[in-house]
Amino acid sequence: MAEFSTSIKEKGEVSVINLKGYLDAHTAPTLENNFTQLIENSKYKIVVNFEDLAYISSAGLGVFMAYIESIRENKGDIKLTNMSDKVFNIFDLLGFPLLYEIYKKEEEALKKFNES
Amino acid sequence: MVKFLKNIISTQLQLFFLSAFLLFIFRLLLGSPDSLILMILFDFLIAVSIFFLLLALIKFKNNRASSSLSLVMNVGILSAIMFFIITFSDFLMPYLFDNVNLRIKDPGLVYNIVSLLYLLVFIGFVSYFLLTLRYLFYLNQGKNVKIYFNTMLFFFVLAALSNNFFQDKSVSFLGNTFFIVAVLLIIFNSIRISWIAFLSKKEKIYLLILSLVISILFIVNISSSSGDNVHNQVIDAFSPSLSQFNTIVMVYGSIYFFMLFFTTLFHLPTAEAYDRKAQEVTSLQYFSKLITEVLDFNDLAETVTDIAMKLSGSSAAWIIWKEDGKLISLANKNIGYVESDKLSQHITERIEFEKLNVTKSLSIKEEINEVDQGNRFSIISVSPIKTRGVVQGILVAAKTAGQIFTKDDLSAIETFSDYASVAIENSRLLEESIEKERLEKELDVAREIQRKILPSKIPDYPDLQIASVFIPAFEVGGDYYDFFEISKTKLGFVIADVSGKGISAAFIMAEVKGIFESLSKTIERPKEILCKANDILRSALDSKTFVSAAYGYFDTSEKKLYFARAGHCPLFLLRDKDSKQIKPSGLGLGLSDNSYFDQTLEEYSVELNNNDTIVLYTDGVTEAKNERMEDFGDKQFLDILQSSNNVTAEELSNKIIKEITIFSSNHAQYDDITLVIFKWQQKF
Repeated sequence: MAEFSTSIKEKGEVSVINLKGYLDAHTAPTLENNFTQLIENSKYKIVVNFEDLAYISSAGLGVFMAYIESIRENKGDIKLTNMSDKVFNIFDLLGFPLLYEIYKKEEEALKKFNES
Repeated sequence: MVKFLKNIISTQLQLFFLSAFLLFIFRLLLGSPDSLILMILFDFLIAVSIFFLLLALIKFKNNRASSSLSLVMNVGILSAIMFFIITFSDFLMPYLFDNVNLRIKDPGLVYNIVSLLYLLVFIGFVSYFLLTLRYLFYLNQGKNVKIYFNTMLFFFVLAALSNNFFQDKSVSFLGNTFFIVAVLLIIFNSIRISWIAFLSKKEKIYLLILSLVISILFIVNISSSSGDNVHNQVIDAFSPSLSQFNTIVMVYGSIYFFMLFFTTLFHLPTAEAYDRKAQEVTSLQYFSKLITEVLDFNDLAETVTDIAMKLSGSSAAWIIWKEDGKLISLANKNIGYVESDKLSQHITERIEFEKLNVTKSLSIKEEINEVDQGNRFSIISVSPIKTRGVVQGILVAAKTAGQIFTKDDLSAIETFSDYASVAIENSRLLEESIEKERLEKELDVAREIQRKILPSKIPDYPDLQIASVFIPAFEVGGDYYDFFEISKTKLGFVIADVSGKGISAAFIMAEVKGIFESLSKTIERPKEILCKANDILRSALDSKTFVSAAYGYFDTSEKKLYFARAGHCPLFLLRDKDSKQIKPSGLGLGLSDNSYFDQTLEEYSVELNNNDTIVLYTDGVTEAKNERMEDFGDKQFLDILQSSNNVTAEELSNKIIKEITIFSSNHAQYDDITLVIFKWQQKF
């Protein structure tokens, strides 16, 4: 069940992480490594695309919380896009829309980054 | 110290000193023995001295383990000393006593003392030689070693004594006969020397040289002590029997070590092969024992390279191990990591790591290992270490220039690498099962914590039916609910879900319980309580962890429900045939600073109507999965709620659980399921 993978694409100044499969306590370290690496390379403008993500658990949500502070301190941000209704509901319940910018389309997030 | 001395000076040694002392007194009082009785007495005393000294030495020897090689070495040193004493006594004695010949006839006190000491030193030598020869002879471990040796010794004594007492021409043949018998026995006893077979080649070469030197020294000592030198005069004057005994022991020594020399010489050509076989046998024995013993992978790897090196007579060994897709050097023996990495790289360029099936030898070109070491390794052997049929590592053994890997070497390493694979697999499986057991134990603890944290009984309030169900997941999901009896008319409740699972979630649950229990005693408003809880948890939890919670309370006199939600699943209110999802805004606890948390948290309150049903739950309910990995889902949940009018709280909870159980009957429960239901039923 624990099938999960990520891929990172550079789109201008912004790094886009595509998530695929099931993100839970067991697979969260993969995403954590992605964030750590981006931060090490001083890439603070990050878009996470949830299009192919089937499921996210509370531990998966925790990954986003772990890095947001240091990213925002460096004038960057994590923007979330392309969530299915189910995934959005989980984020919504916890009040994530209050903490993160969540967009329907990746392009909107990229546009937002490029504007600022 | 006294005790130590006591240990060393055994009874036997005391008796030796006593007889030596008696010898001295007799000598002093009676001078040179001239009557037969005195001679017998002297010889008896000397024999007794030797006997007790021998016993003392045997006892001393038995108390400390020493190798036969070091004993032989000692004999060599002593015989060399003896040689020097005999040689120098010719110069030394005349220097001390003008004319030894005169002195022997008319000994003074000083001469007596010196000659006696000289004699005792000699007795010491002879005893030690005899002891060592006895020890070496006993190594043969035949059936009758003791009888053979004692018989020989008996003839030694006979030959020695008869030399003194049967000097008369008519019976002198007796002494010769005994001497010849003794020599025959010596030869017979020296023929089979089996103990050297167990020595390594190095030790055999060492022994070969040593035994030759010793046997020559013995022969030299025999000839010099039978000659007309001062040494012989002194001993002879004291006791001709001792002189003869000494000669016989010397003969024994020279014959024995001569035999030893030849036996060793004949063993030498096969020594290497013998070494190898012995090494193989011990290594394999050692290793098969190891398979069952070694738990730690790194220890095992160290042992594997160590044995592989010994087994093949290589100069260095290491393991190329695949870890996280990278090849690393492991358990290096006699080779640095920089060098081994370099050679590893060379090896993996020449052979395909995954496809190595059999043990091979590869010659290494000079340019590969130049650097500071020069042309160090010229040939290496590589053997696969497989677990579950997949090559996990390569066992490498390396030899220096001029050496080769024989067919035997390669097959030994091959067998050994098979053993190593099994052992490594075993240690991995063991590690896994230990880890599994540890996790299970940990989960037992977590479940126990959870069980103790959850309320054991449901509070009793008039007009309010309460039902609660909690079904723990195997991994402990971190669900928590509780009731707080604030007053007779006010009932507080909380439902929460800690992110993460297992024991860490259980500990946080315990913390959350403590926080709500104490806050509910002093604060009434749900919003205030959640803000305070967020404040505490924000600093207590790490940045990845958060808690979703909902807190509220019923005021039965006011007929009102107050409620606030911090990231938790919404509350359902069933009124008549309608169901209403109540989802006031609010962030999960521990996600954000208090200022923002306060701003976004809404409080909700509702006036209760008769038969109002309030349903609280955790995501374990809506995310329960079937075999197709589909969620139970909000919709199905809502359907059940809406179709369940006019049932008690208990009946409703049973119905929901039943539906979930049917839905997810073919799929393991992944998260805790918690359901808390209140029904407001006013009695008039």
